[in-house]
Amino acid sequence: MGRRRRLWPTYLLAGGYALLLLLPFLTLLSASLRPEADLYAPGLLPPRPSLEAYQEALTRFPLGRFLLNSLLVSSLITLGVLTTSLLAAYALARLRFLGREALFGLAVALLLVPGEVTFLPLYLLVDRLGWLDSYLALTVPFLANPLGVFLLRQFLRTIPEDYFDAARIDGANHWQMLRHVALPLSAPALGALAALTFIGAWNMYLWPLVVTKSREMQTAQIAVNFILNEEVARWNVVAAAAILVLLPSLLAFLLAQRAFVRGIAMGGLKG
Amino acid sequence: MDATLSRAQRLRKHLRGQGEALVFLLPAYALFLLFLVLPLLEALWLSLHQEDLFGRGRVWTGLANYQKALSRPEFWKSAWLTLKFALITAPLELLLGFLAALLVYRPYPGVALFRTLFFLTTAIPTAVAAVAWGWFLHPVGGLANRLLASLGLPPQPWLTSPELALPTLAVITAWAGVGFTAVLLTAGLQNIPAEILEAAEVDGAGPWTRFWRITLPLLSPTLFLVGLLVVLKSLTAFGQIHLLTRGGPAESSMVWIYRVYQDAFFNFRVPLAAAEALLLFLVLLLMAALQFRLLGRRVHYG
Repeated sequence: MGRRRRLWPTYLLAGGYALLLLLPFLTLLSASLRPEADLYAPGLLPPRPSLEAYQEALTRFPLGRFLLNSLLVSSLITLGVLTTSLLAAYALARLRFLGREALFGLAVALLLVPGEVTFLPLYLLVDRLGWLDSYLALTVPFLANPLGVFLLRQFLRTIPEDYFDAARIDGANHWQMLRHVALPLSAPALGALAALTFIGAWNMYLWPLVVTKSREMQTAQIAVNFILNEEVARWNVVAAAAILVLLPSLLAFLLAQRAFVRGIAMGGLKG
Repeated sequence: MDATLSRAQRLRKHLRGQGEALVFLLPAYALFLLFLVLPLLEALWLSLHQEDLFGRGRVWTGLANYQKALSRPEFWKSAWLTLKFALITAPLELLLGFLAALLVYRPYPGVALFRTLFFLTTAIPTAVAAVAWGWFLHPVGGLANRLLASLGLPPQPWLTSPELALPTLAVITAWAGVGFTAVLLTAGLQNIPAEILEAAEVDGAGPWTRFWRITLPLLSPTLFLVGLLVVLKSLTAFGQIHLLTRGGPAESSMVWIYRVYQDAFFNFRVPLAAAEALLLFLVLLLMAALQFRLLGRRVHYG
């Protein structure tokens, strides 16, 4: 009983703090639900809630296309990173070959190279390849990342040898062991890496900003910038567009919160 | 078993093993080589060359671009702004995230809801966070100035004055990162053995004493590490600045990474921008090296 009574301060503090943190976001939501005439009306709640701004945003801008672009790009990158990372991590963790430690060392060293430093020469490279303003530019350079290789290699090394021995006795080769032992057993790590990669790709800003030119190739993030410039006087439309861009990532977060949290903890503290 | 194989057979087996490994490694490492190592080397190459005035390609200039970058007052201004930005963002983000972590690291009925609310910001895209704040700070419709007005304070030109723009952007960046630090610090707090805290409680230590004498010291390696990560992140913050101020007003939020972008894509001074990018890389590398050293120590003795 006493313990239960002592919970109320926690609820009050946590609730109040959450409200305070989400306040800018709530005012954005409120703006998106206001018709233009009420945009500057005081109060947190819209006096006459309407979906007018959403309608306007969806008809004036190809938001569906922007969101689809982001979804396509993020999904391809996630799939690519999972595949390339698992393959490389398997070799680094399970196979014996010349230069293994050196190659793992290279992955660790590349962890230190932030994309923001290489975006300029990467842009020149992508330009030479003739990939500017295409899905190739948005996806191919990111289909592998050192963090994925690093995390999965560390994870695969924690799988007890016995599992692989059992498969080997049954005559499994490395491909079969990867498929039937390593893959199912690393599901939690893969899920976390997938969540981390997806959100990272979905939130990319600098890169799509410099490599996309045409409207059709823009991702949702860049579209937000574009809509903000176009509709600087109609903030309800800007807000509605932003909320529409937010929804998929919010949904992904709510569906896979555990994986997200694990991914951040793994990626942040590097195993 | 190997003893029964001939030397040639053993060699073939060895080579097959190498070949198999190569197939597994090729996709990831080919991409690394092409899209990470090569660009890095090209940045280095570019930074050591100069566009020839007569269009005959690039000519070697040694460290001239670095000299030029380092002798520009704009560069030092950007470096200073970046430092200022990081010095506001990092402690604030750490503090805000720590408060959230303290509220949710222990299980209690309903904790899942609060965890979701606090961790949610990790899923809010930079562009959306920037727009949310753009509206929150809007001179006419924004809640921030309204709240100030209700307290009888004058409205503030949050993003439009050279004095306020950078600190405001730093606050926005810290806000957008609360989820990130909250997740990491929650994990850190949960890793503190409960027995130690219980033992202290039995010995009569109050919650305040326990926090300052046990929780905080035991968490300090994590705090330091997360702090470093946050600094690293803030040194390359770009999206929110691009969306909200374009580096202005009067270049007051032209941080280092934005200067690189500006010089490369608007001033078309690619070699200079490459040199600036590599100088930033050097700073990030030093920070990361520090992080790895500490991480190593933690792994060995932790």
